Amino acid sequence: MLTRPNPSVIIFFLILLAGLVALPFLAGTYPVKLVTRIIILATFVLSLDLLIGITGLVSFGHGAFFGCGAYAVYFVSPESEAANVFVALGAGLAFGGAAAFVVGAFAMLTRGFYFIMVTLAAGQMMFSLFHDTDIAKGSDGAFVNVKPELTFHGTSLLDFSNWHQFYYVCLLVLVAAYFSLFGLVRSPFGRVLQGIRANEVRMSALGYDTYRYKLAAFTVAGMLAGLAGALFASIDGFVTPELFNWHQSGLAIMMVVLGGAGTLYGPIVGAFAYAMLEEVLKSASIVGPLIADHWRLGTGATLVLAVLMSPDGLAGLLCWKRRRVIRASSGAPQGGNISSRPVRVAKGLLTRGLSKNFVGLRAISDISIGFEANKVHAIIGPNGAGKTTFINLLSGAAKATAGRIMIDHRDVTGWPAHRIARAGLGRSFQLTNIFPRFSVRENCALAAQTHKASLWRLRDRPYQAQEARAVDRALSVAGLGDRGDAVAGNLSNGEQRQLEIAMLIASGADLLVLDEPLAGMGPEETQRVVALLRDLVRDHTIILIEHDMDAVFAVADTLTVLVQGKLLAQGRPEEIRADQAVLEAYLGHQAKVGAVA
Amino acid sequence: MSLIFIQLLNGLQSGLLIFLAASGLTLVFGILGVINLSHGSFYMLGAYLALSLTSAFGDVFLALALGIPLAFLCGFLIEFLFIRHLYNRDHLQQVLLTFALILVFNELQQVVWGSYPHAIPAPSYLADSVRLTEGLSYPVYRLALMAICLALALAMVLVIQKTRVGRLIRAAESNREMVEALGFDSRMIFRLVFAAGTALAAAAGMLAAPIESAYPGVGDRVLIVSFVIVVIGGIGSIRGAFIGSLLIGMADAFGKVFMPQFSSFMIYALMALVLVIRPAGLFGRA
Repeated sequence: MLTRPNPSVIIFFLILLAGLVALPFLAGTYPVKLVTRIIILATFVLSLDLLIGITGLVSFGHGAFFGCGAYAVYFVSPESEAANVFVALGAGLAFGGAAAFVVGAFAMLTRGFYFIMVTLAAGQMMFSLFHDTDIAKGSDGAFVNVKPELTFHGTSLLDFSNWHQFYYVCLLVLVAAYFSLFGLVRSPFGRVLQGIRANEVRMSALGYDTYRYKLAAFTVAGMLAGLAGALFASIDGFVTPELFNWHQSGLAIMMVVLGGAGTLYGPIVGAFAYAMLEEVLKSASIVGPLIADHWRLGTGATLVLAVLMSPDGLAGLLCWKRRRVIRASSGAPQGGNISSRPVRVAKGLLTRGLSKNFVGLRAISDISIGFEANKVHAIIGPNGAGKTTFINLLSGAAKATAGRIMIDHRDVTGWPAHRIARAGLGRSFQLTNIFPRFSVRENCALAAQTHKASLWRLRDRPYQAQEARAVDRALSVAGLGDRGDAVAGNLSNGEQRQLEIAMLIASGADLLVLDEPLAGMGPEETQRVVALLRDLVRDHTIILIEHDMDAVFAVADTLTVLVQGKLLAQGRPEEIRADQAVLEAYLGHQAKVGAVA
Repeated sequence: MSLIFIQLLNGLQSGLLIFLAASGLTLVFGILGVINLSHGSFYMLGAYLALSLTSAFGDVFLALALGIPLAFLCGFLIEFLFIRHLYNRDHLQQVLLTFALILVFNELQQVVWGSYPHAIPAPSYLADSVRLTEGLSYPVYRLALMAICLALALAMVLVIQKTRVGRLIRAAESNREMVEALGFDSRMIFRLVFAAGTALAAAAGMLAAPIESAYPGVGDRVLIVSFVIVVIGGIGSIRGAFIGSLLIGMADAFGKVFMPQFSSFMIYALMALVLVIRPAGLFGRA
């Protein structure tokens, strides 16, 4: 989670800011122009960090939105008059945001390599649109003849052709952009974005429509890039298709990572560092004419070394201790008396003829089964029986080839994972699947937030008390009441599995689907979780896959046996134990259970 | 009518040429798992090698015979120096490092060859045009180029499908750990594959040089079009790259004639369309 920068960073930036504010009084026009350019660049790069560092989206087409913002100023500027400052900047913001929304709507359908390529292609598409057609004077670029102004009853309040005024506007925009993004990232909305970066599959299993969150982040970043582009167009009053060039996008990624992705302030440092490096390498008086002629060789080589040597970027150097300080445990664990919770009727689940084919393979064939509410149902079967595939179908992680799934008479067949999660089905994964860098409480808060997960929720306050209660309750039910402030990654394996269950409870799910909740646990931990599960059925329905037969017989109300994708038997444990077909097909091989039987 | 026929030939020719570059890219990504943005630089290297070697030896085919091993060595070295550090890093780091390499290569090109475009002569015995029908002739060099591209493509498929090395490469693609567990040095396989990929890109650059000349940034367009082809065909699929290359070649050739302003635009639109219908590309594994 994004935290406040530590004191050394704050001091560094206060000094930097003081220097920037004083600059026009100390230096001539050239340095002011140069720094104006860098500040605009920093704003642009900052907007990219929202995608790369916060949401985990490596966009290689971000330069396109910068270009859109710049061209927007050209479009709204009359031939021989000045455009209104607010109109010009607003147009940049709107055009950048609109382009990002359209591109994002396509790009968010893809991931990883494809996402990088789609954003790259989108940028190139816009480049060729402005380069090859004459919607804006084609490849030669276009002039904004008069720079934007703000006049009130004939008196000029703000004029972008005045270098000092323009400089302070740019600086103000950068500072405002930083604080707005900082607030956004710390809001519930931003928490979800960070959750997506850490673990997108988990987020959609918790009930978040990650597509919409990512698209929203992409649009916001595009708006800010457009704003920066609009300012850029006002530097020289000239826009060119080269602004869309993919090299711009590549350099922006460089600066984000060079500075330190995911910190928001890092990219600002990165932009300044890169621009300074370029300036130094370009000046023959410092490095000699040979290097100055080929300064790009110097920046390129520096960047190669930077990537190979320091994956954390310059921000890593700025704070010598970047590790999160773990706050002392606040407040005693609440409500130790678990069993006083009232009994509540939970949801049941039903499948009809459920089948799943992979290419050339029938993984699940024609399973019709009911899971009664407020019971623990264990699914067992030899390896490759299709157990995990089956629960993937239930949770929407995989789509069924045929058949229906009902949660309490509600047909949820074909729903995406996040909608099924909203319908009350929460699942855990075979491999522990938490957000390791978030605290235990933050993990649960992310889950509790799904309740009121309107996309644009920027403030905690209205639901804070209610969510805090849900988190406390979930933690105490799961037996983690006193571990709330620990960093999740530092928990023991058993505690992490408990945390997964706590997250499901906090999300309000009352149908819990658990994939091997006891895997890798010692006997004591196993006992604790078995007791937890028995307690949970007071107000939950539990479906679980488990290999530990002793635990299965201790915890389950019903057993479901799958063999080769088919339903072999379902019944109470003692019925299954006596079932001849099961014994032959499966249990016979298990010496352990043979002993029990 | 003859215009359509000519554009069909042009589309086929540019499709086959770009296939060499795109197949190298898809091999490297499919097997090494590395996004190599500097792939276009090797195309550029090929174009300039053609320039220097042709002026030294007088024939672009002689240049090809010398240039391909040179490019192979170059790729071998680049893999050793830079690329091998990327295997366990995420896409972001790969994009960054190979992007920084582009900056370095572009500037090195300026240092060595300067910033003016250079024409490279086609061999004199292929400089004529051949009459295909009444009133329709086509440069012999372009026909020869198609034949060479087809031969190289066939050779590549044969190596991958029929030889022991090819079997190892296919095995390393589907399961690297297992290949290592069987006692093969997967690092060497990777290095060879990367070198082969760069040699393919350079070969494309050399063959194209007499048609489009050598100029700074000549590899940029090829890089992006190759990526589009890899995405259309599906990552790691040679067959997909082949189909994708021909599609793009045709779209480009006909777009230039019928919608000159939107011809580049169309390529990307084609890619978007394919991705919406089949998100993993035409022959990709989801």
